[in-house]
Amino acid sequence: MNAHVVTAPAVPPARTFRPAWSARAIAAFSGTTGLAVKIVLLSLSNALAAWAGFVLADKGKWPALGVLVLATATLDWIYLSKRTLPLKFLAPGVVFLVGFQIVPILYTINVAFTNYSTGHVISKPDAIQQIKLVSLEAPPSARQYTMAPARDHGGKLVLILREDATGNGYVGTKEGLTPLPAGSVKAGALGIVSAPADYKLVKGAALFGLDAQLQDFTVPTDGDSAIRPQGITEAVELRPTLRYDAKRDVFTRISDGKVFHDNGRGSFVSGKEELEPGWKTYIGASNFRSIASNPLVRAPFLRVFAWTIFFATATVFLSFAIGLFLAIALDKQGMRFQRIYRSILVLPYAIPGFLSILVWAGLLNDDFGVVNRTFHLSVPWLFDANWAKVACILVSVWLTVPYFFLVAMGALQSIPAELIEAARVDGGGPWQRFRRVTLPLLLVATAPLLIASFAFNFNNFNVIYLLTGGGPAQGGSNVAGATDILISYTYKLAIAAGKGNDYGLATAVSIIIFLIVATISGIAFWRTKTLEEIR
Amino acid sequence: MNKKHAIMAVLVVALAAIVAAVAGSVNAAVKAPTLTIWTDADRQTAVTQVANQWAASRGVQVNVVQKQFGNIRDDLGTVAAADAPDVIVGAHDWTGKLAANGLVAPLYPKAATLKQFPAYTLNAFSYGTAVKKLYGAPVAVENIGLVVNTKLAKVPTTWAQLEKEALAFKHKKSGNLAIAVQQGTNGDAYHMYPFFSGLGGYVFGKNHAGNLDPSNIGVASAAFTKHASLVDKWNKEGLINAKVDATTAQSAFLKGQAAFWVTGPWNIDTIKKAGIHFRVIQVPAIVKPAVPFLGVQGFMVTKYAATHDVSAAAQDLVANYMMTPAAQTLLAAANNRYPANTVAGKSVKDPYLAQFGKASVGGVPMPNIPQMDSVWSDLGGAWVKATKGSGATKASVAFKAASRSIANKIG
Repeated sequence: MNAHVVTAPAVPPARTFRPAWSARAIAAFSGTTGLAVKIVLLSLSNALAAWAGFVLADKGKWPALGVLVLATATLDWIYLSKRTLPLKFLAPGVVFLVGFQIVPILYTINVAFTNYSTGHVISKPDAIQQIKLVSLEAPPSARQYTMAPARDHGGKLVLILREDATGNGYVGTKEGLTPLPAGSVKAGALGIVSAPADYKLVKGAALFGLDAQLQDFTVPTDGDSAIRPQGITEAVELRPTLRYDAKRDVFTRISDGKVFHDNGRGSFVSGKEELEPGWKTYIGASNFRSIASNPLVRAPFLRVFAWTIFFATATVFLSFAIGLFLAIALDKQGMRFQRIYRSILVLPYAIPGFLSILVWAGLLNDDFGVVNRTFHLSVPWLFDANWAKVACILVSVWLTVPYFFLVAMGALQSIPAELIEAARVDGGGPWQRFRRVTLPLLLVATAPLLIASFAFNFNNFNVIYLLTGGGPAQGGSNVAGATDILISYTYKLAIAAGKGNDYGLATAVSIIIFLIVATISGIAFWRTKTLEEIR
Repeated sequence: MNKKHAIMAVLVVALAAIVAAVAGSVNAAVKAPTLTIWTDADRQTAVTQVANQWAASRGVQVNVVQKQFGNIRDDLGTVAAADAPDVIVGAHDWTGKLAANGLVAPLYPKAATLKQFPAYTLNAFSYGTAVKKLYGAPVAVENIGLVVNTKLAKVPTTWAQLEKEALAFKHKKSGNLAIAVQQGTNGDAYHMYPFFSGLGGYVFGKNHAGNLDPSNIGVASAAFTKHASLVDKWNKEGLINAKVDATTAQSAFLKGQAAFWVTGPWNIDTIKKAGIHFRVIQVPAIVKPAVPFLGVQGFMVTKYAATHDVSAAAQDLVANYMMTPAAQTLLAAANNRYPANTVAGKSVKDPYLAQFGKASVGGVPMPNIPQMDSVWSDLGGAWVKATKGSGATKASVAFKAASRSIANKIG
């Protein structure tokens, strides 16, 4: 040992001094090239910000614009100032952290407090507009017209109308309908082709410039009824069934005088009757309460939670055990074809999971799958609740083993051979050496990875969704199937709730999942620290 | 700040300004009025052609954007108004959800135009809890039928004949399927519907106004429950097997390991390519006619057309131009479907499409109300439980449980 230290300065003379690549990279960025690169990159980032600024200003998103300006100014200051060296390294990471982690989390939390679900997607003003539009009905004697927008001699917009049933011609204004001389309005395949000389038909692209005006153009007829343009060649007589009172913010039904008022949860209601569409709005902690109180959500929660924990734990421990075993088995010096063995073992890791999981689903098919046919088994892999769980763990272990094989292989190399040698000298058997020396040292290095893998498998949507789809279905009124883990169950809540989607409820559940995973990981990391102290 | 820094700051600002100016001018150029259409890949060429013909005759521009079919429905709810489409292609069973979300606008085609369409295709696109409105222009219809490999089996005319033929074929060789109908772990209520309706089941009843009533669930109707023991019999004799999924069913039929396949017109080309001689019929009546679900595809005008000030143009394209026989022929042929317009239907020459058309007689449009989302998994699941071979649940029990579950979910 000592001898080694003494000879260390005697570097072979042929080797000239070469600093580490990182040092060289830093050096490169300090020279003229570095300056040029810096200017270009910074300009690009500023240009991107300026472009985004234009878009935001165009859409009137002023708070977002403020954040953008502030962030860009901060970035410029960091990279133009001389006193901010540590920040220069931190800034890119922070930008990505905010963009890809913090913003989605904030968005999720935001959605969890809304009623975002089928029927509650658009804003309130849009919903009011839409209710007015869809509550129009054709009166019993509704007439349909062929229509063409035109300008009268004063340049005012009017509608030239030809009643489909009778062929009578009219001119429609916001005041009402005036008949035109018989035969003066002619229609062809593309709508009205000729009108009296007093009126100039609007044609071509100019027609589409009138869109906003046509949307609101009504020609009053009898009572509430009015002729409304539909498209550019048609008009129909319609009457409202609901009237909106902006002052009181209520809809009144004309036929029976029933009043629909804002229920504070994104709908106009009257008793049990509800007007569609509703709108997206904040509803407080309602979604979280319904996790506790709605039997549909609550009933399977604990069962699904227990299975999720079991699935993630079993996957991590089995994979780690098998991966470690294989790594030790292939660690022998001078083994033949060692590289080939190792490459084969890593293969599952190289195939995209999406593909291999689907292939597994085919292989495990109860009656027609290769597994059962080859081994003359009749194991109900996917159709029995318990076997389906086995299948899920089997496939996820198959997918995870290569990862732990690689990790264990690396970690084994880092354990000093002297320690194991010392244990051998002290008379430890192979098992004792593994149990007392190798494993503890290995665990110190791999424990954080085990925790990360646990967190990943806790939310391993792909395996469940692609292999069993959460199935087989469970009895009773269960949204969750036998193999649904929390995240796939949440997905089902989000897409197949009573009336379709319920994003608000699903995000609330996913926040709960986040808290669970964070708690478990936190405790685990804390325990790992104790492990390190023991060392 | 020293001189070098000052120069650098000036350079950065100047470069940024140039790029921003270019970006700004590009932004301004995009503002010319155009109609944006979302379509799936199958129909893209036909939609582009029809829309461009229309655009030329009207003097406007169209922008056809290709999306995955299912994403059209889902993305419409989340897309930013500026990028939103004015017209979408869609399936009729999206109507309820899109209308309840307030994302589509009602249409008023001319009476003469409406006469050219079978009533069910228009009903399929109509929705409204108070006032029923038409939200889509039907373009193509589709349904499943029983595809018979005529070299391997006789075309059955009665259920008993089908049962006998199918079981005889299954027992000929190990690996043979009796009736290839896809289910898989999570079931497939759509493909099982003929057997469901044939036993007297239905999904939603209608209220006095003729609208679908989500509180009237017929998954375990009296008629169905009475005959449910037949399902147990089929399970025992292996006539229907839940473990057959989409891939298994298809490969079995194409390899000649199944003489009967329940599938739709989307597989016509696949069967033709395999060189199989086949005929398509409706599944023979069991205790009641075994009718399939009917699907109608069409075009809808979104609420964004009004926001973009192109609603008149969008209505003209969808409720007027696309409902003409010429446009219908082109659009339906694009993905090998029967046109919704009856005048266009007369020009269809494909014998298999005509056979699928005959197999649709008496069919039921898939319910288009949003509550249907609660039905698919439970109804499919009940079939799986009742037909998964050994260990299967009694059909009457499985379907009663499914019915309860659906009622609970709808609330």
